Amino acid sequence: MKRSYLPVALLLAVLMLNIIFTQYMVHQYFYENYTNTIIAAIINVILFPVAFLIYKKGVNVHD
Amino acid sequence: MTDKNNKIPFNEDNYTHNINRNNERKLDRRGFMKTLVGAAGVFAVSSLPWGALAAKELSGLGDKKYPKQKITDVKALPVGDAVDFAFPGEHDSAILIRLSETKYVAYQNACTHLRCPVFWKKNEGEMLCPCHHGKFDVETGAPIAGPPRRPLPEIYVKVENDAVYAVGVKRYEA
Ligand code: FES
Repeated sequence: MKRSYLPVALLLAVLMLNIIFTQYMVHQYFYENYTNTIIAAIINVILFPVAFLIYKKGVNVHD
Repeated sequence: MTDKNNKIPFNEDNYTHNINRNNERKLDRRGFMKTLVGAAGVFAVSSLPWGALAAKELSGLGDKKYPKQKITDVKALPVGDAVDFAFPGEHDSAILIRLSETKYVAYQNACTHLRCPVFWKKNEGEMLCPCHHGKFDVETGAPIAGPPRRPLPEIYVKVENDAVYAVGVKRYEA
């Protein structure tokens, strides 16, 4: 029964980054900086597999 | 007493004895992490349309293309004068004003108030709407007096072999 809350913390951090980049993306879109919009969107998409990997690693630690 | 319990079916007056809902809504660490991953997925999916729209803007698909159209010859338009034309459609009346030797501006001249034709008042240096005395700035098309609140749509012009051409319409921005 050793449960680690590190993955939980990491996932929360990922979610925070998601929020930040989403807001950045929307703002950059309306400021017409379309390259920045695309960069933020790509980061947001990449964060999903990252979150999934953290989850996979995290559940293997005995729950 | 003890074996009675095994022989006689116990008195069953409800049908939920085998439903155990304890802990059903308990959110454990694993469930919480699943929720977080799901949220990350929602963020990822909802980013896609923004990326697509931005890519569309970057590739210039959003700008409508109109065939370029000759407005007038340079010689026929002295500095400070204006000429009416129609662009991009034959009913979209527009005005071209020559501000200096090399500077031309063009706007669709339907007033943004009630669509009266705006004309160029040379000696006052501003565009005037006859209907309710709206005035527009020549340099930008921005409304400066009277009822209109929105700028006149600008038309891009280009000078090529001694003639002035209309090449496009500026995208409307609210
Ligand atoms: S239509 Fe131009 S000011 Fe009213």
